[in-house]
Formats: sequence, structure tokens, C-alpha cells
Amino acid sequence: MKFVDEFRDAELGQALAGEILAAVEPGREYKVMEVCGGHTHSIYKYGIDDLLPANVELVHGPGCPVCVIPMGRVDDAIAVAHEAGVIFTCFGDMLRVPGSDGTLLDAKAAGADVRIVYSPLDALRIAKAEPGREVVFLAIGFETTAPSTALTLKRARAEGVPNFSVICNHVTILPPIRALLESPDLRLDGFIGPGHVATIVGARPFGFIPARYGKPLVVAGFEPLDILQALLMILRQLRDGRCEVENQYARVVPHEGNLRALEVLSEVFELRPHFEWRGLGFISQSALRLSDAYAGLDAERRFSMPGVRVADPKACQCGEVLKGVIKPFECKVFGTACTPEHAIGTCMVSPEGACAAYYNYGRLARERELV
Amino acid sequence: MTFGCPPGGHCVTCGDDATAMRVLRVDDGRGLALCSDPEGTHRTVEIELVGPVGRGDDVLVHAGVALVRL
Repeated sequence: MKFVDEFRDAELGQALAGEILAAVEPGREYKVMEVCGGHTHSIYKYGIDDLLPANVELVHGPGCPVCVIPMGRVDDAIAVAHEAGVIFTCFGDMLRVPGSDGTLLDAKAAGADVRIVYSPLDALRIAKAEPGREVVFLAIGFETTAPSTALTLKRARAEGVPNFSVICNHVTILPPIRALLESPDLRLDGFIGPGHVATIVGARPFGFIPARYGKPLVVAGFEPLDILQALLMILRQLRDGRCEVENQYARVVPHEGNLRALEVLSEVFELRPHFEWRGLGFISQSALRLSDAYAGLDAERRFSMPGVRVADPKACQCGEVLKGVIKPFECKVFGTACTPEHAIGTCMVSPEGACAAYYNYGRLARERELV
Repeated sequence: MTFGCPPGGHCVTCGDDATAMRVLRVDDGRGLALCSDPEGTHRTVEIELVGPVGRGDDVLVHAGVALVRL
């Protein structure tokens, strides 16, 4: 398969960096937000920002599904995990996300049966193998991951698996982008759009960003050359006075998205009237819950949960980091009280979080020198 | 490294990440396919969203579901 090596070619990367340098106007400052946590990870893993001119700044957006989950929702999950007879399943990242009194990993250490799964289908398999136990799956993720949960719920209903249910924390990418664009403390020149979300929703729904807010967006893949090329496309739009949605990731992303996936999503889920995002507050119609047809598989209706809103720790500045207002190293506790081993904020818990990406790829010392 | 994530600290599920996999065998009745990633790891993948696929086709997989045919 030719999908990786060609997009990591160092010579082509240097050539793109040269074109980027040629596309920027000296003296003008550029701020481009990569919405997706996967892009943030790639940017630091491959040192992409080191190839950029000094006046081009990449701002990290809210596209890490772990980072945006508020503490109250984690507390709800932990409460269910402690219920007698429950097998609690989730993706690996969620285990160490702090609630107000510990993590799911702490709950596991205290005796709760918490298991990591790669896919919700794995959780359904556990439910079928353990018919005497309640199996709960903690669903997180953007539109990329939601179809996986939706198909699992359809399968659970079709196969009649009564001991399986889902706590739905799926979120949608467009409302937080809109919230960021409305935010008075943020100035952005353009967006690198989330490539794999776009495989589901397509490139078309991002059209309001140039149309209403006058910012270009380029849907991009996740290899280093993808990101450099997308950035070049944004900078050329700015140079030429154009403002539109472009699709750099056309080898994967169809303009209309995956219509079958969208159909399944609309069958299984409905929009919540509002949902709390860590650092961004409540955003209307920004998250999914199970539709009435799937209410029997909704863990929020099956189990009693505290449902209490919990404020983030005062020292934590994840909110500002998620909005791109401050860089991770500018947070008061970055790299000292808050590290990947002992995370205070969610941006340090997930490898896709901006803080963890900075920390893991050695930005701690260098950026401090620059301050 | 984050607990539960692969070495290198990258969580494919949380990172909006997807892996190109090759279809080895299709179970049409159950809507599943056995696929292999570039490292040779085999995984059962849901194929309902990508339409008919056959042995040798490449698909992009996220959280156990093929999202698009490559």
C-alpha cells in the first residue's frame, strides 16, 4: 500500500517549506488553527513547525475528544463503573482522565471491572460472552468515531443483547469551531480541517467558515506532507485574496462525505440541546445522545448517575489552551505539577492533547528558553 | 506513554486517526471482514459503511469500522 512513505519524503517536505516561505508576506503575522488532535500530534512528531517561517504560527484547536470531556461526565462514568455487576469498557485514553475524585484507573484499582477496548464492537462481544453481567461502553469521539458506536448499537438491537448499553459522549466538530470564531479573544487567519471527520461529513459542511467568517479552511490528511501542503494552500488563499474550502485530502475524503454513515448516525443518534465542553463551556447542539428508538441501550437511562457539573481545577488552563489563547508551556502548571504521568488537565492526559504533544516531543525546555 | 495506548503514545481512536488495511476475507452475512494492517496485524472490521468489498481491497479503518474504500 502506498499511503505512508510517499507522504513523509524529506526532500518534498523541504521543497514545500520553501514554497510556504515564498507564499508569506514579510511583516504579516499568520495564525492557523489545526482543529484536530491528530494533526497536533503529527506536527510535533515530525517537527513540522520547525520548517515554518517565524511569522507563521500554528494554533492547536479543540479536536481531541478526551480533552474536551468535562469532569462531571467522568464522575458519571466512574459512578457507573462502581455499580455491582458492571463491566465498564472504554478506549485507553479515558482511563487516566481525572474526575473530581480520581480516574477510571483508580476505580479499577479499587475493584471496579474496567476494561480497555479498541472498538465498541469489542465491548459488544464481551456482553455476549458475559450475559449475566451489565456491559457499559463509554463512547467518546467526533464524527469519525460515532459511526462505530452507531453500528454497534444497531447490531446490539438486531441481535437482542439486553445487557449492553452506552454512555454517549460523542461530540460534533462544527459547533465548537463556530464558538471559537465568535470568541472575542481569538484571532485566526485560517483552519486546517479535520481529515477523518471529513470522511464522514464531507468537505461541504465547512462552507460556512469562509462564507460567514471569511476564513479559509483546507481539509488535510495526517502525514507531514499533507499538513505542509494544506498550510501552503491556506497561505496561497490568503495571498491571492481567496477564501474557500479546499480538500487537500481528496485521496480519502469525498466532498459529500459518507452518506451511508450519515444515515446510520441520524437513525441512532439525535442532537443534545446543549453539552458542556471543557474550556469552552456549554455549546448548543454540539453533542449526540441516543435517539428514542435506541433508548433501551442508553446507559444514562439505565443507571443512576450523579450528573453534577464540576468546575475544572483552578490551576488548570486547559480552556485557554483548547481555545489557542495560550501555548501549553505558558500554563502555570505545565511540566511541573502537570505532566503525562500526573496530569491535572485533560490536554496532558491524551497524547493528542496539545500539552502532551508539547511535553512528549521535547518542547518543554526549548520553548521556555524562548520565553 | 498513556496507559492503554500503543508505544509512541499515539491513540488511534482518540486522535481522529485511521489505518489503511487490506481485506483478507469477507463475511457478507455478518457484514464483517478480516483485514490486515501494514504491520501484518489482523483485525475484524465492520464493512457496512463502505459497500461491497473483496479480498485485496484497501479500506481506511477507525475504531473497528471501515470508513472509506481507498
